[in-house]
Amino acid sequence: MEDNVITVRGLVKRYQDLIAVDGVDLDVRSGEIFSILGPNGAGKTTTVEILECIRKATEGEVTILGHDLRTGGKEIRRQIGVLPQEFNAFDLLTVRENIAFFAGMYDRQADVDELISLVDLEHKRDTYFKNLSGGLKQRVGIAIAMVNDPRIVFLDEPTTGLDPGARREVWEVIRGLRAKGRTIILTTHYMEEAEVLSDRLAIMNQGKFIALGSPSEVVAQHGGGRTCVIRGGGEAAMRSLHDMGPERDGDDVSVRIVHKEDLVSIVTALNRDGVEYEEVMLKRPTLEDVFLKLTGKSIEGGEISG
Amino acid sequence: MANRVKMVFSGLAKQFFRSPGSVFWTIAFPVMLILIFGAIFSGTGVSKYDLYVQDLDDSLVSGIYIDGLEATGVLNIHEVPVNEDVDAFIERNSVVNLLIIPAGFGQALTSGSEIEVTLRQDSTAGSSRAVLAAVNAVTQQANNEVTGGREVITVRSGSIVSEDLSFIDFFLPGTIGLMVMMIAVQSIVGYQTRFRNNGIFRKLATTPMNNAEWLSGMMLWMLVMVAISVAAIMVTGMLMYDVRMSLDLMAIAMIVVATGLFTAIGMIISQFVKDEEVAGTAAGAITFPMMFLSGSFFPLESMPEYLQAFAQVLPLTYVNNGLRDAMVYGNASGAMDNLLIVLVMAVAFIVVTVAISGWKKE
Ligand SMILES: Nc1ncnc2c1ncn2[C@@H]1O[C@H](COP(=O)(O)OP(=O)(O)O)[C@@H](O)[C@H]1O
Ligand SMILES: [Mg+2]
Repeated sequence: MEDNVITVRGLVKRYQDLIAVDGVDLDVRSGEIFSILGPNGAGKTTTVEILECIRKATEGEVTILGHDLRTGGKEIRRQIGVLPQEFNAFDLLTVRENIAFFAGMYDRQADVDELISLVDLEHKRDTYFKNLSGGLKQRVGIAIAMVNDPRIVFLDEPTTGLDPGARREVWEVIRGLRAKGRTIILTTHYMEEAEVLSDRLAIMNQGKFIALGSPSEVVAQHGGGRTCVIRGGGEAAMRSLHDMGPERDGDDVSVRIVHKEDLVSIVTALNRDGVEYEEVMLKRPTLEDVFLKLTGKSIEGGEISG
Repeated sequence: MANRVKMVFSGLAKQFFRSPGSVFWTIAFPVMLILIFGAIFSGTGVSKYDLYVQDLDDSLVSGIYIDGLEATGVLNIHEVPVNEDVDAFIERNSVVNLLIIPAGFGQALTSGSEIEVTLRQDSTAGSSRAVLAAVNAVTQQANNEVTGGREVITVRSGSIVSEDLSFIDFFLPGTIGLMVMMIAVQSIVGYQTRFRNNGIFRKLATTPMNNAEWLSGMMLWMLVMVAISVAAIMVTGMLMYDVRMSLDLMAIAMIVVATGLFTAIGMIISQFVKDEEVAGTAAGAITFPMMFLSGSFFPLESMPEYLQAFAQVLPLTYVNNGLRDAMVYGNASGAMDNLLIVLVMAVAFIVVTVAISGWKKE
């Protein structure tokens, strides 16, 4: 068995004249958390639902666990677990009953009580689903995704709408799955989630993967290097540094560091011209910067808007 | 396979019993219907009832007899011309109570020989018992006056619809038909749209379960809900109105087939209307006309011609007719005919359902 559990080549999905997925190539390695990060409408759900065998691709080759998607659907379904986007289990069944219900759909079933402790819900075992908080509901959803003891788990926006605390708890559960050797494919539109949780990630926009790799690789490749920020430098700093292509953001001025010596030149120039400023700092680019740069989209509170 | 159907069934069952609204709807609603309609139609209030009289004797004596009827104060007497064909007259005027005084009535009375008046009634109408009682009382009085108690005049009661039936006998099977439709259509539409919007269908699509298993589990559960409702209806009828009807094999077959039919209709509605609230309205728009136009509450015969014609295309009409044939009239061949019609409709709708209900597809 090779290392890649999923390989995708040239995946395309068209709806009439809309291209929802536009030539995606992807390899997912065994045991990793792979995130697809992108705004609403980027094509994340369409992509994962094709891999889950519930939508048909227009074009492209997909192999999952050695089975061709077109012919091995039945076998693939047995070995994958899915948490659909905006999933709500049965309101008037308890946590345990809900998990048992979905387990009953499979011939090979994981132990329901073990799943309950996997998502840390022992204390809510007999609570109706409708009475759970958002974060706990998502944890039930993750347990339900695990009922057939799958090798690959698809989680479509598992933390959307949760408060930061609940989100972190879900992350812990997801890390727990990885620790048990599962491969996880996750979609999200939270920067931080993709950055701290994924082993590797892809940034998706308008049906295309526009960046792919580990979080640090993606940042290194697309972040545009480090920048020096002169806080409170204002117009004086702009004039003093105008040879180095400064950019202004309010009273702050930033300059890209291309060579190591650039930092020295900046400080020298500022001193020479007697520019007053609050402080000089060196900034590493984040995934957020990469995203802004690649898509031109705005970000509010770590969440991609629009 | 069997396990998945069982899971669907028991999952729905558990949720049902935890939802007071559903239980109320299934049990209390039909019980209230029977009690309310029963009270309205079996009540013998002070209101007057229409009695049509065809006086073929047209003598002084028959005139006195008719005056006696009028004097009871509960009857509005309408004369029917002597040359009218009674059957045509009944049909044309939706007559529910008609008394025929035969020629020779006065003669017989004066000579003391026995004679028979005929009272034809639609026994399903609420007024039938009161009218019969009034006619009997007046006749008894006439007998007393003329002969000192010997029964000279006897009242032969003939029915327009059927014999010895009260409104409740008519109404009970109608309520069963109505509830089969309401339960199946409303619940299926509710379940389908809710589960679709909650992502449960998308989740199930990734499991080995298929459409047929889902549909089977749903249908089984519908049968149980219907059975609960039918039991509530029958028990209410027996306790409150002393109804002595039984569910024979034919009636049970009709209930089962009708449940399949309306389950399929619910599936089809929910396939086209995705929004939960809109779907509820759509279900109402389809069940509401059937509720009133398929003879659940009122006999089809009492409706205008064009509505009667419309009723012929409504599935519930055949369910109601079949149930009455089986439960009330003991008309086995009529019940069989209606059952076959409903069966054909059920098969057709189920085939359409299986063909179009693509919760597996996108
Ligand atoms: N069934 C469908 N029919 C037509 N268009 C669709 C359908 N599903 C998704 N789309 C379109 O495809 C694009 C990608 O959608 P989606 O995969 O849901 O994005 P994401 O999950 O990243 O928010 C969107 O523009 C969406 O409107
Ligand atoms: Mg999505």
